[in-house]
Amino acid sequence: MQAPHADADTSVKASTRLEEWLRARGRVAIGFSGGVDSAYLAVEAVRTLGPINVLAIIGRSASYPADQWAAARSVAEAFGVPVLELDTQELDDPRYAANPSNRCYFCKAELWSKLVPEAHGRGFHTVIDGTNADDLIDYRPGAQAAREQSIESPLALLGFSKAEIRERSRALGIPTWAQPSSPCLSSRLPYGIAVTPERLGMVERAERALRELGIGGDLRVRHHADLARVELAPGLLAEWLTADGMRSIARAVRGAGFARVTLDLRGFRSGSLNVLHGVSAA
Amino acid sequence: MSIRREMPGGPSALERGLTELGVPCRVESRAGLAVLITTPDVAARLGEAELRRQALALAREHGFTHVAIELRSDADAKHTPDASLPGA
Repeated sequence: MQAPHADADTSVKASTRLEEWLRARGRVAIGFSGGVDSAYLAVEAVRTLGPINVLAIIGRSASYPADQWAAARSVAEAFGVPVLELDTQELDDPRYAANPSNRCYFCKAELWSKLVPEAHGRGFHTVIDGTNADDLIDYRPGAQAAREQSIESPLALLGFSKAEIRERSRALGIPTWAQPSSPCLSSRLPYGIAVTPERLGMVERAERALRELGIGGDLRVRHHADLARVELAPGLLAEWLTADGMRSIARAVRGAGFARVTLDLRGFRSGSLNVLHGVSAA
Repeated sequence: MSIRREMPGGPSALERGLTELGVPCRVESRAGLAVLITTPDVAARLGEAELRRQALALAREHGFTHVAIELRSDADAKHTPDASLPGA
């Protein structure tokens, strides 16, 4: 991945503001997925407050990719971030499993309802997440659940863009700086298609098989019932739209349980299914 | 004098447009998603960025927000002769 497009001086100033913000809180628990944002926040928190004043909490369920969990544990171990794992049961909530357009609300409500009492019980009265300033522009029904539980989002509050977070992560040696964004597996299912462990498993196996072919960068396997729609980084399309490339992708994704395999001609776009459902603009 | 003009939109119109572009295929419509079904040789033509851009623009004109090409197995391809595709 190329270096992120953010001014280094600006990023350093932003991180100073973040340190001040964290010091004012004293102790923080973090909703920790191991993604770019929460990994950076956890590392900065440990650097600023020391590990005894930080608790990174992972919510585990079938919608959380195993590779993401491994990345989270790896970052935590490398940077001395204390971690607690909790099981969440959002798939048992029929309002979530029905996969409405505000599905994320029910997931986050479940996450925070488990995480916040656990954090408070351990003496962490400030609970924060990795929401960044760019996220505020996007359609994110999960943010409502965070507000209801008084979750604070210092990266968004202090104006950190994704590019700045990547820049600071790179400067600190956090390996997630170049990691593609990786929302939960349920985001691969169009609204209205029920979220089940079986469908999430198909998506996870298909994406892993494609990674094993050497496909890097942004990658999504969208689950359209019998049909998988693969989104690759647009710059990779020419490389894979060859007889051999298409055959390899088809074989890998069929092996995960899909009857039919398609390749999106526009390539990866964040919130692609929101566009398909008219929730956001094309 | 009345002029009959076919309104753009839908899979049939997109099929005709794509055939004129040099991408003969069948189009399966799934709400805003157009699934293009064609031979591996025709599919590989879409590796060319300009042709892909034109195909996407055409699909957008016909009301599709997403376009995906089906990646068919060798067995599928044998069962669909080129002659079944429009313009082939």
